[in-house]
Amino acid sequence: MSISVDNLTKRFGGLTVVHGISFTVAKGEFISLLGPSGCGKTTTLRCIAGLDDADGGEIRIADRVVSAPDKGIGVPAHERQIGMVFQSYAIWPHMTVAANVGFPLAIRKVAAREVEKQVDDALEIVGMRHLRERQPSQLSGGQQQRVALARAIVGRPRVLLFDEPLSNLDAKLREGTRAEIRQLQRELDVAAVYVTHDQEEALSMSDRVIVMDSGRITQTGTPKELYRRPANRFVADFVGRASFIDVARVNGSGWTTPGGVVLRIDDAGAPAAARYQAMLRPESVAMVRGTASAAAGDTANTLHGRVVESQYLGAHTEYLVDVSGARVKVHSREDFDLGTEVTLRFPAEVCRLVALSDAPA
Amino acid sequence: MSDQTMPVQVLPAEARTRRGNADGVLTGIYWITFAVVAAMVLIPVVALVYGSFRTSAPGLPGEWTLRNYIGLASGGVLASMLTTMLIGLLTSVISIALGTAIALILHRTDFRHGGIVMPLIGLTFYFPSFILAMAWIIVGAPGGIYNTVIDDVLGMPWLRADIYTVAGIVFVMVLHQVPFVYLTIRGPIIGMDPIFEEAASAAGAKPRTVLVRITLPLLSYSLISSFILTFVLTIEQFAIPALLGIPGQVTVLATQLYLLVRFSPADYGLAAAIGIALSLVTGAAIWAQRRVTRAGRLTTVTGKAGRLKLVPLGRWRWAANLLCFGFVFLGLVMPMMILLYTSVLKWFTVNPLEGMYTLRNYVFIWESGSTVRSFTNTLVVSGVGAAVGVVLGLLCCYFTLRLRPRGHRSLDFLASLPFGVPGVVLGLGLLWAYAYLPLPLYGTLALMVIAFVTRFLPYATETIGGQMVQIDKSLEEAAWVNGATRIGGIRRILLPLVSPSLQGAYFLLFMAFFREISSAILIYSVNTAVISISIWSFFEQANWGLASALAVVATLIIFIAMTVIIRLVPATRRR
Repeated sequence: MSISVDNLTKRFGGLTVVHGISFTVAKGEFISLLGPSGCGKTTTLRCIAGLDDADGGEIRIADRVVSAPDKGIGVPAHERQIGMVFQSYAIWPHMTVAANVGFPLAIRKVAAREVEKQVDDALEIVGMRHLRERQPSQLSGGQQQRVALARAIVGRPRVLLFDEPLSNLDAKLREGTRAEIRQLQRELDVAAVYVTHDQEEALSMSDRVIVMDSGRITQTGTPKELYRRPANRFVADFVGRASFIDVARVNGSGWTTPGGVVLRIDDAGAPAAARYQAMLRPESVAMVRGTASAAAGDTANTLHGRVVESQYLGAHTEYLVDVSGARVKVHSREDFDLGTEVTLRFPAEVCRLVALSDAPA
Repeated sequence: MSDQTMPVQVLPAEARTRRGNADGVLTGIYWITFAVVAAMVLIPVVALVYGSFRTSAPGLPGEWTLRNYIGLASGGVLASMLTTMLIGLLTSVISIALGTAIALILHRTDFRHGGIVMPLIGLTFYFPSFILAMAWIIVGAPGGIYNTVIDDVLGMPWLRADIYTVAGIVFVMVLHQVPFVYLTIRGPIIGMDPIFEEAASAAGAKPRTVLVRITLPLLSYSLISSFILTFVLTIEQFAIPALLGIPGQVTVLATQLYLLVRFSPADYGLAAAIGIALSLVTGAAIWAQRRVTRAGRLTTVTGKAGRLKLVPLGRWRWAANLLCFGFVFLGLVMPMMILLYTSVLKWFTVNPLEGMYTLRNYVFIWESGSTVRSFTNTLVVSGVGAAVGVVLGLLCCYFTLRLRPRGHRSLDFLASLPFGVPGVVLGLGLLWAYAYLPLPLYGTLALMVIAFVTRFLPYATETIGGQMVQIDKSLEEAAWVNGATRIGGIRRILLPLVSPSLQGAYFLLFMAFFREISSAILIYSVNTAVISISIWSFFEQANWGLASALAVVATLIIFIAMTVIIRLVPATRRR
């Protein structure tokens, strides 16, 4: 394992911000820590980097224990051999681009000629070689970001850590950079931990995503697992767009809505909980005009309702459909007027049962 | 629609007239402010320049001449110029090193006693320089405590030291200037975005490498700025080189000017020329400092003050403790103890067991009309003067930063000009101006107030302006849009928002006035002596006991006032 975090706990004063979380990242694996601000994802990353001291648990990087407060182990950040990209890039304003990128080598007493060569290589990789003598103040945000990336990889680190590196870039640049970061990490074949609050970023880049909330891990899984089979309402809500219908179990196996409609639901492996909801992704619901009944033998679920809101988004329109108390989001390329009576159809496999935790989310 | 049209037509007309009247009032206030500041600053400066081109003191018959400026090239003046520069540079270099080290220890390491050291350094900052110098004379004079102990107790005469030397002056100056360096550097250190240092340690740099390669270079503009200011404060410092240098015949420009005016053979013209030369040096340095600060602002280092991991001191903890506590001991605790000891002795003796103890010095302070008067004078001058200074500072800031009417650049220049004029030089200008102008100000407390307010006006404008530029103009504009006049906007929006800086400026001025001696030394009269002058006079008369007692009382007043004000006015807490 390249990184293993075991039962990590971090407190700031009396406030516990990370409650004993555990996960591992394999060599070459790219995982994201995803969650809303204040969920403890950045703190977790800073503990791995050694910028914050953990209060409990154990962290290993490449099988070396770097943090184990119980045993009095706390390897300082500068001995952990990491590469890190910061949210605000942290390009040192008093050094040129080349000096910034060469810093991790220069302080390790690498020979000047070798530093030059590796700096050129690193800058070449991020496409910034022609700007090597520039001052940071002469660079755009995107260019600074690339310098930060070059600086993170130049020392051949054992792990790469990213703290929301794209959140200060504009949308177009962000999409292009995602792919580049991922490709770079694959080539270097190192473990990467990527902190973000942007679910699209996490889904598109990661091998696995760890969703965090209030200092705990809510769910770990591949992007597809997370999107299709979220463990609970929080994950379902945070990852992608979703609507929820309260459901109750009847006759041991079936599920009904408060309006009394029986739904066929994918409930395989759902955790035990006091209350449940059925989750629907807006793009997997089909919507037609009128109140057509389901044909016999049709296994898809059918709900009748009325369009109450619409938002035109270009590629499609997002409608909000009132179905006897619940409100369902539906994406459709057709036009519907407000108040139109419609029928919603969706197969059982896209209707996922999620736990509605009454416990503090 | 139609019922809305009427008020819409009426409102702007009404608002326009109200706005117009308010603008008229503001314009009036602007020109009054301009006239007052111009008079305060220009009268002494013009008197000084005039005097420097005359063969005799102003008011006496004389001729125009360049003799005084030629006199600057004489051996005596050149020697004191060299001494001034030497003392200034040595003091600044050592003070920057120590002050920065202390600031880094207090704010970047796991030093355990910051809670004690920080307030003590704050007290040291407000410890008057002439009182510090007196205490160190009692310790370090050839017949003082230190040398007596060296000779009589230890019997090691090779360890003898003399405070009346360049080294002695630098030593005491450093003790006086380190708190200033600390206070100017701690802000940048605390406000520095920790991400730059974190990135370095993530990149593999050891704490010492981070300090040398990242922290100090990022602080360089602040360090240079602090260095220049320390240099200016050192070369214009009067009390320390006067008390220590005059007995040892170490002369700097400020003391030479004083000697030329105060003692015969007096040479007023040469004194004025020296004053102008000294002002040119300090003025140029201040100008350079402004340039540096402006350049430093471009590479904005300050960001969110984050939670940076503290650097463990490890095996260097003893050195950090020694530096911090050693400084506080030499700069504050020991001088206070020495003064306290001297103040209760009937006759000065080094051996406390031989001392004859008495409270007669304190009784004398209480019973003597002259010392009581100097206390009331000081309180009046400081209390009233600080209020005048704050009002004037506020007006200057509003006009130069907000309203910006015609001539606001000149007002800005006039208000910051005193920064470049050393106190004793200003005092000389005021002496001539008001001794010979047909104004009934000479020998009044009002002249003291004028002197102090003029000298410290830049302190007020810096403090208030620093906060005012941070208040977005749109907050006032929103008030106008919602129907407030300009004056209404000032009263209801701007004033409440800048009030912390007004309190801070009042506190700063009060403390500065209470300790001020250099601009008062040439213009006081028997009736307008302030505490600093009284202490000075007693010490000059070799009445160490009385001077010490008075110094103890004055210092206690300063410390108590500081504690009370910091408790009452949260804005004065620096952090």
